[in-house]
Amino acid sequence: MLSALWTSFCAALLELDNVQAGQFLLARPAFVGTLLGWMNGCPVEGARIGLLTELVFLDFMSVGGVVPPNGLVSAAVSVLAFSWGGLPESAAFFSGMLAGLIYCGVEYRLRAFRSSWTAAVEAEVRAGIIRPGRRLAAALLAEGAVSWAFIFLFSGWLASAAALSARLNMGPLFGALDLAYSLMPWLGLSGLYFRFRGQIHKNKAGA
Amino acid sequence: MNFGTDMTKAGSCQPPSGGKALAPVFFRSFLLQAAWNYERFQNLGFVFSMLPALRRAHAPGAPLNSAVLRHLAQFNTQPYMAGFVMGNIIRMEESVSGLPVDEAMEKKMLSVKTALASGFAAIGDRLFWGRLKPLMTQLCVLVWACGGFYGWLFRPEPGTAQAPSMSLLFGGPLAGMAVYASFSVYLRWTGLKRGYACGGSSSCGLDALDWSRLIRRLSAAGFALAAAAALSAFAFLLFSSWSGAPDPGFARKVAPVLAALAIQRAARKSGRSIFFATGMVIAVSLALVALFGPEGWAWNRNL
Repeated sequence: MLSALWTSFCAALLELDNVQAGQFLLARPAFVGTLLGWMNGCPVEGARIGLLTELVFLDFMSVGGVVPPNGLVSAAVSVLAFSWGGLPESAAFFSGMLAGLIYCGVEYRLRAFRSSWTAAVEAEVRAGIIRPGRRLAAALLAEGAVSWAFIFLFSGWLASAAALSARLNMGPLFGALDLAYSLMPWLGLSGLYFRFRGQIHKNKAGA
Repeated sequence: MNFGTDMTKAGSCQPPSGGKALAPVFFRSFLLQAAWNYERFQNLGFVFSMLPALRRAHAPGAPLNSAVLRHLAQFNTQPYMAGFVMGNIIRMEESVSGLPVDEAMEKKMLSVKTALASGFAAIGDRLFWGRLKPLMTQLCVLVWACGGFYGWLFRPEPGTAQAPSMSLLFGGPLAGMAVYASFSVYLRWTGLKRGYACGGSSSCGLDALDWSRLIRRLSAAGFALAAAAALSAFAFLLFSSWSGAPDPGFARKVAPVLAALAIQRAARKSGRSIFFATGMVIAVSLALVALFGPEGWAWNRNL
């Protein structure tokens, strides 16, 4: 439990790099998966989960106001579901994908919540108080706290579900997920291929 | 008031403050998106980043307050390219230092800001999100492949393969991060300096690099790497699955991969996301396991 809390905390810190602070690619799933996997004694599985998550989530771009599914949350939840929850790697991976998809709704709400801040800052500036840094700090703290709670609670929920379903015959389901998981590298690699091929075609059409 | 024509050529006049405010603005610009919101996007981060320069350009009180209020307007651009806009606006703010800012001047400043933000957003999105980020994933794959780690593609039976070293596992993602972060930080700082040098022009910095050529070359490199990775992985699968004579095991190993590729192609063609393709792959896997049982499908365990 303590290890899961610590892992979620580290993931939440790295999540700030995703959009809000720096954007040095520290939040890339391949790194997060490897790091959290290493912290939990499963670096190879973490690296594999991380890279596959990255390949899948590359399909989404954070252009304009679009909130893409969150690759870091996905990788973190997957690693925790595997190492803490005891789920098979394949089931942990797909559960993580679901978490990343759900988290984009959470992120949308956080961004929408901040929309009212401009009016408040404007009123402060008119009153001679210029401290936008406080709002930025609040935004960073809120994002960090929410992502920490989300990753920990979602992983905890998966761990509980795995424990409760231990008596059920999950073999066929896990077998199917294992097969699907073994095909994910091919989806990812071909996704990259089609993506760049589309760009080459566009460049040719533009020229 | 003119802050355009005489400053559009880089280096044609001395910067009023010598750009002393650029360093703090540069460091603060890493938090540009910290309070991103749907009403005015990056406006709070923009004001936070620009504050040292605004404090230097305007006297405390009404002049500073009105400058801050001016920049609380809507602002959205690609974060790594924001330096071009910021440098430009710093120069423009310094050029009106101590002067009453009328409506026309303010309008001009905001129109330059908006024009640059849109232009650099288009370039930055294509360059960073569309090309460099996927290329860094490919670099990770390349580093792992060069180090002999194929564990992300084929899972050997536990105990049959040598575990990769930690330095190799971390080296893959860190290599891409180093390249990406260096280039993005370089562009942030260069953009700020370049924008400051030619402040006032709504096309300032758009010619800093041959963006189109760079983007085209990155696309070509990405395509070549993606094609090479996909083809070599598939060739590896074929050679490692082929036992020298036709057998059902070979089909069981290769057919699901071909099916996954066909699903991906169909999903792309119909404009669906990779989540749709993933859902289809899970559905097909469930059907296969339900029909033929879970045994024998884990083809990757044999490698």
